[in-house]
Parts: sequence; C-alpha cells; structure tokens
Amino acid sequence: MIEVKNLTFSYSNDKQALHGLDFTVEDGEIFGFLGPNGSGKSTTQKILTGILKGHGGKVSLFGQDISAAHGQEFFQKIGVLFEFPYLYANLSAMDNVNYFASFYPREQRRDVGELLDTLEFKPDFLKKPVSSYSKGMRQRVSMARALVSNPRLLFLDEPTSGLDPSGAVLFRKIIEQERKKGTTVFVTTHNMVDADLLCDRVAFISNGNLVALDTPKRLKEKNSNHQVVIDYLYRGQRETKTIEAPELEAGIPFDHDEIISIHSQEPTLEDMFIQYTGRGLS
Amino acid sequence: MGKGFYTLFKKDCRMLASGKFFLMAIGFLALYTAYVNLGYIRFMQMEPYNVYLYDPAETQTSKSSLVQNVPSMEAMDTALLADANGVGLDASSGDVRVVIYKGAEHIDHHRADYALSLLQPLASHTPEVLGTNTPEQKARKEITCELLFFELAAVGFLGIAAVMFKEKGMGVIRVHAILPVRKDLFLLSKLAVFLLSDLVFAVLLTLLNVGFVDGAAVLPVILLQTAILSLMMALVGLLCALLLKDFRQFTLAYLIIAIFVATPVFLSANTSVKFDWINWHPFYHVYMGLKNAYFGTAISPVYYAGAVGMIVLLFLVVRLAFHREIGKEG
Repeated sequence: MIEVKNLTFSYSNDKQALHGLDFTVEDGEIFGFLGPNGSGKSTTQKILTGILKGHGGKVSLFGQDISAAHGQEFFQKIGVLFEFPYLYANLSAMDNVNYFASFYPREQRRDVGELLDTLEFKPDFLKKPVSSYSKGMRQRVSMARALVSNPRLLFLDEPTSGLDPSGAVLFRKIIEQERKKGTTVFVTTHNMVDADLLCDRVAFISNGNLVALDTPKRLKEKNSNHQVVIDYLYRGQRETKTIEAPELEAGIPFDHDEIISIHSQEPTLEDMFIQYTGRGLS
Repeated sequence: MGKGFYTLFKKDCRMLASGKFFLMAIGFLALYTAYVNLGYIRFMQMEPYNVYLYDPAETQTSKSSLVQNVPSMEAMDTALLADANGVGLDASSGDVRVVIYKGAEHIDHHRADYALSLLQPLASHTPEVLGTNTPEQKARKEITCELLFFELAAVGFLGIAAVMFKEKGMGVIRVHAILPVRKDLFLLSKLAVFLLSDLVFAVLLTLLNVGFVDGAAVLPVILLQTAILSLMMALVGLLCALLLKDFRQFTLAYLIIAIFVATPVFLSANTSVKFDWINWHPFYHVYMGLKNAYFGTAISPVYYAGAVGMIVLLFLVVRLAFHREIGKEG
C-alpha cells in the first residue's frame, strides 16, 4: 500500500527534516508512526498525503509514485484525520460532514447520520453550530469527515486526542473495524496505549531518522530482561522477590504462604522509544 | 470540476451570508444612495455664496436677482455675522467696496470676484460648454464613481480578507488540501462570489444614482471596470490574509493601503493637486478607467492589457501563498 525508499526532505531554510527513511505499509495493516515533536513525522505524513512536494527518494502509494498521484483519483482513496479538528465553526456537524462529503462520488459516500451515530455523537447537537461543541465532539465530527468517503487508506494524526477514556475505546474499536473492512491505517501518535493496542507494527522516528521498526510485542520482548517480580505473604509478612522468568517453569522456587501478584518486567513502548532515541515523546 | 466549484461557491455564499456581508452591502447601497440624492446633489445645486448689497442711492441698476439688498451697513454686518461665507458690497460712496470675513486668500478672491460679477451679469462671458452632461448629471456620475471605487477598494477588500482569515483560523484550508478537488477552485470560487456581488452592487448603485437611462447607457463599460478593480482588490485581500498572521496585522496593512494607495489617487483625480509620480501608481489608472467609463470616454487597449496582466500576476502570487499555507504546520 505504502512504499517509502530513501525519503529525504529539506525546508527552504536548508534544515534537513528527513534523512532517508525506508519503510513499507502492507494492505490492511495498522501502522504506527511515533516520534517526539519536530522529529519529522508530520512532514512524512504531509508527503504521503500529497500536501508537501519536493521530496527526495521514492514514495509510492497504491502502487503509483506520489509525484504522479496528485489528481482527484488519489484524494478519493485517502481519508485524513488531522491533529486538530478543522471544521467550519458556524456550520453544524451534519452540514460540515455533508459539505466535505459532497466532493466525493455519491456511490462512495457513507450515510452521514449513521456515521455520526456510530461515533456516538450526541443527537441533540447534530444541527447546532460546531462552535458550541466540546473538544471530544469536534474530534468525533472530524473522524466522521475522514471516514465519510470510505477511504482505502486512512491517515490518523492523534486520533484519540481530546477524547475521554470511553471515547478513546470507541475510536480504537472503530479503527479496528475499518481495518477489518480492508482499510490500511497510518497512525501518527504520542499515545503509547493507542500504539500498543492498535498497531500491527510501529516505527520510531527521531531527528528525521527511522530508529526502529517492528511489532510492539517484538520490540518489547527484544528488550525485556525476562524477569518477574512476585509479591507474596510468608509467615504473616509481605515480601517481594525478583526472579528470572524461566525459573517459574518448575513452580514458585521459594517458600511462601500466599502469592499476591506476579508482574513481568517487560519494558513499555515508551521505555523502548527512550532507549532507541534517547528522548521522551512529549 | 463544475460540481466541486459549485459546492465551494455555495459554501462561500453561506459564509458571507452568515458573516452578514450581503446585509452590509445592502446597507452601504442604501447609505450611498441616500447621501447622493438627499445630500450631495442638493449641496451641489446650492448657490455658492450669498451676496448682500448696501446701495442707498440705487446706483447698481443692472444687478443680478441673486443680490440681496440690505437697508443699512448695520443690517449688512448682522447678515454677514450670521452667514460668514457671505459677501457684502458697500456701494454707498459711489465706488463698490467688498466686505467679507477673511478666510483662505485664494477663496476670498473667488468670493469677491463672484460677488462683483453679479452686479453686471450681462457683461459676464458665457463659457463654452464641453460634453453633453448637465451639471447635475456630471455631479451624479462623479460621486457615484467615487463611491463605487471606495466600495470596491475598501469594503470588498476587507470582506474577502475577513472570510479568508476566518477559514485560516478554523484550519479548514488544510482540509481542502486533501479533498478530491482542484486547489485553485478554492480561490476561484471566492473570487467569483465577490465579483458577482460587486457587479450587482455596481449595477444598483449606478442605476439608482446616475439614473436609469444615463446609467444603462454606460453600464457595460462600468461593469468591465468594476470587474477589473474587484478582481484586483479581492486578490490583494486574499494575499494579505494568507501572508499576514492575524487580523490586527491586516488592519495595519489596510490603513497603509487606505492612506498611501487611495488618498493620492483621489487627490490627483478629483482636485487640482498633482503628483509627478501619479502615472506610476497602478490604482490611479484603474480609478481613471472607472471615471472614463462613467463619462463615456474611450479607454486605451494598453490599459486593458496591463490590467489583465496585473490580475494574472496577482493570481499566481496568491496561488503560491495559498499552497504555502496549506503545507504549514497545524
């Protein structure tokens, strides 16, 4: 679906933003693109969505070079959720989504009412202007705008930003449903929970370089110290012991009356990111 | 392409309607029309100065009916005190003596000459009248031309910039970058809405203030000039909105345009003030194009070629700024 080879990009002030990125995204995959602010992830997404021109290297989407894919056909196949909910504040949710939907062929469009219902948008606000919405409601309308054209390739920039925990769960469920329909999803995020729960593979980008690319599970496993921490009670005393995971194969290798908890010492994605790049994600 | 343009056009009309732009245009039209018909034309028809004559021996036998006799010098003083622009003529000593409150020197000479000319109206030369316009027609065309120029240069320019700033602030410009529609249509639909609105405004303003018969005769050329100025100002407005950070910066740019661009044009075209460099000022030619259209004077093809070239150039610059804007960070 997406093939990127030796991607480079410089802004006019000669500051090189991307230093030769290589990655591919398969059809129907959810691909996470993680990096701190200024790392080059927005630049990469803008190149992939055809907004930024003048890159070096090779970028192809749908088997076609991006430089030749700026026509209407290309934009009919992609959907983009921006980091901020860009909407007409004086129009209602229905009017906003209907307006943006009207640029796509009728047979490609989804029913706007149904879509907003799926996104659990409050029906009372359907015809009220966007200026009266909360951040979470605006994010739902933006998601509806991105999905209304049934895109084959979906770019999501911080999809759960501004949502409460139940909203974030709903959005993850919807993204998963899109993938089941065969949609390829390219997620740019700071949210490690989203990346871990949603993405088939994640790429870490730092200072315009791709520093790691693998499944979240393998990235964590590769860097795990294979230890477990056990909390237990013994003779009325609460104690903690750290042991190597293989030692558990033969059962708990020490005396105890009751096991309270067993925690694996697997690193988080954020730990991995810091390990690979030396920088946090904020 | 047609459907995409129609959708954008409809949205822009809605944006303008919700921003009360059309209502404002109707308000301005009513205001200008009231000013022209109830104020300006009446003012232009008024006699320039009242002339008061004290002539106890009745020596001035051929005086004009515009001269008002006063019975005494005290009565003349009272009249001049109440009407400081008036001119007194004291013919009590045989010779005629002019009595006025001093104002600007060259105006005082004019007032005195006018008052003295009324004592011998038949001796005055009848000037050769050029053109076919009556003084009222001339006044109506001049003021309508000035008001239309002001409306297009200031109000339309402000309107399109306000809409663009609104969309820029909401970030929706960036969404259009990923829609399956030609990006230029986003600009073209705005230009079309403002052009159409300006053309309707020009038709109504001209017919209501110049008169139906006189206005209709020159309307095609006026519409052509309106289109030129409207497109230029709309493009300048778009460019300012795309390049400037916020509306506050735009207000400063607006002041600069109003003071340094419009003022010398009005002064050079409508008064005796002449600047050597005014021929290099593009808006002077645009204003004169509009004025020539109202008075049915021929307009050079070189001007039209220059105007079209300027519009194309401005559009290319705006297009460049627009593409830069949609590629910006959120």
